Amino acid sequence: MAEQEVSRRKFMIRTIVGIVAFIGAVLAVPFSGLGILPALRGNKAGWSDAGTIQDMVVNEPQERRFMQIVKSGWMEEKEERSVWIVRRQDNSLTAYSPNCPHLGCGYRWFREDQRFKCPCHGSVFDINGKVLAGPSPRPLDTLETRVEDGRIMIQYEVFQLGIARKLVA
Amino acid sequence: MFTRLIDWFDERIQIRKLWSEFANNPIPGGASWFYVFGSVLVFIFILQMLSGILLALYYAPTPDHAYASVKYIETEAPFGSFVRGMHHWGASFMMVLVALHMLQVFIFGAYKKPREIVWLLGVGLVMFVGGFAFTGYLLPWDQKAYWATVVGTNVAGTIPVVGGILLKIVRGGAELGNLTLSRFFDIHTYILPWSLVLFASLHVFLLERAGAAGAWSWSEKTPVYSEPLFPHQMFKDTIIIFFIFLLLICLAVFFPAPLEPQADPTDSTYNPRPEWYFYFVFQLLRIFEGKYEVVGTFVLPTVAVISLVLLPFLDRNPERSPYKRKIMMTLAGFVVVTVSILTIIGARAPIVNTPTVTSPSVLAGRLLYDKNGCTACHSIHGKGGKIGPDLTHVGSTRDRDWLIRHFKNPQAVSPGSIMPKVALSDGQLSELADYMQSLR
Repeated sequence: MAEQEVSRRKFMIRTIVGIVAFIGAVLAVPFSGLGILPALRGNKAGWSDAGTIQDMVVNEPQERRFMQIVKSGWMEEKEERSVWIVRRQDNSLTAYSPNCPHLGCGYRWFREDQRFKCPCHGSVFDINGKVLAGPSPRPLDTLETRVEDGRIMIQYEVFQLGIARKLVA
Repeated sequence: MFTRLIDWFDERIQIRKLWSEFANNPIPGGASWFYVFGSVLVFIFILQMLSGILLALYYAPTPDHAYASVKYIETEAPFGSFVRGMHHWGASFMMVLVALHMLQVFIFGAYKKPREIVWLLGVGLVMFVGGFAFTGYLLPWDQKAYWATVVGTNVAGTIPVVGGILLKIVRGGAELGNLTLSRFFDIHTYILPWSLVLFASLHVFLLERAGAAGAWSWSEKTPVYSEPLFPHQMFKDTIIIFFIFLLLICLAVFFPAPLEPQADPTDSTYNPRPEWYFYFVFQLLRIFEGKYEVVGTFVLPTVAVISLVLLPFLDRNPERSPYKRKIMMTLAGFVVVTVSILTIIGARAPIVNTPTVTSPSVLAGRLLYDKNGCTACHSIHGKGGKIGPDLTHVGSTRDRDWLIRHFKNPQAVSPGSIMPKVALSDGQLSELADYMQSLR
């Protein structure tokens, strides 16, 4: 093969590889963006009404259920949620996410022991959410609350489980 | 490292031999800009598959959700509008390129022995591409989608003897609805992609077996001059692919795919028009009317397909030069000119329904109607409650004056009515009345 022909071949192959790489790079951003970004959007869905504050007894946690409107892509769905709410001496409120921070099981308040206990792996928490026993890597997850015309409003969120830090899922 | 990996494969599956057989495929007469269409089609098809797979992530093929999901892709999902724009314009590119590819093969006489089977597979591929285009635009479930599919499927219904049954099979029932959308989605995303991939692979594989046709005059020159497929022809292919790709992303960014209002089967004011690449079929249906309609819907398309299938078997003259195939070239010229003229006339076809210009006060009235809960009792075009009278055509039975008096005190105008007084200002009542008047 003549020297000229060799360098012509090289030029052509480099051009082909360059254009293919360019097209791949240009498409990588929008294609992976459309595939991935909508999945990473937060799930903050506004305030939900979790019932009246009137029948809350001080230092007696209550489980409250409510419907939360969740946006899922192009649809708005109603999901049933529950939270544990504690009314404090100073009338402030603490709301706990219903899932044990270990692996997500639903825990309950045991009035006789004054403890929250998780039925899965035996995590135990006090009324302030502090871990007293078991594998839970962090205290119970608190949710934002406020009181509006005597009704408890909750900003419901879901958190990543099994890790020491409290991060929104 | 890379060489060692190739060595590993080569030891087992002789990958170097496979590649060199492919790459060194000779192009008789040398590489040419005329031969790029096949590769460009493969490229656009890959883009259609990738963008289609991404769109399917956020698309729901049911009449309840299709429109909302496409709207979500178009307005909310990041890069959604861009990817949908690529898919939309990519479809047009496929239609144009497949036509150019076929024309080039025809002019160069490349369908002749020994490439008859390659041509036959190509005829199948053309129909698959058309099928993609047709089934694709029902999916957004907007006005254009709905009405183009109503007309398109009714075309199947005009076919003699089997038309009635065929129409039902295509639609999945007597009427266009949920099952039609499922069917079209299934055809568009399962049946056609697999068929196309199978046919296209065979098309390329058999072309490699039979050898590229190359220039029509090469057999006269000795020794035969040729260049390899890679990198010589692939270089030219890639350059064209580069420019087509730039054009495609510009179109996707600056001219996003349209999305019309949601499909409304009761709307008689809409002017249904197909996508531009079906204008020639659309125009054909306007020419053949009444008892001749079947000529446009069935006879001509069937003749066209049969002619394409039989072409390499009827035209067995080994001569490939277009200059010595005057009859064939005249025929090709006639088809190209006819399709172009039909497309242009089709595009300029007069619109029957004058587009309704909605005045600001009608729009304001419509907003008031929605906001004040009128739909709880009244319905328009089947949407709303059943307690009060249907208002779909209220504009043709009640005048403005009556409407306003009625809003202010329903019982004074129609005794015994349970409608509550409408608590709005005089200006707002006037707008609401304008909206009612527009419903005819």
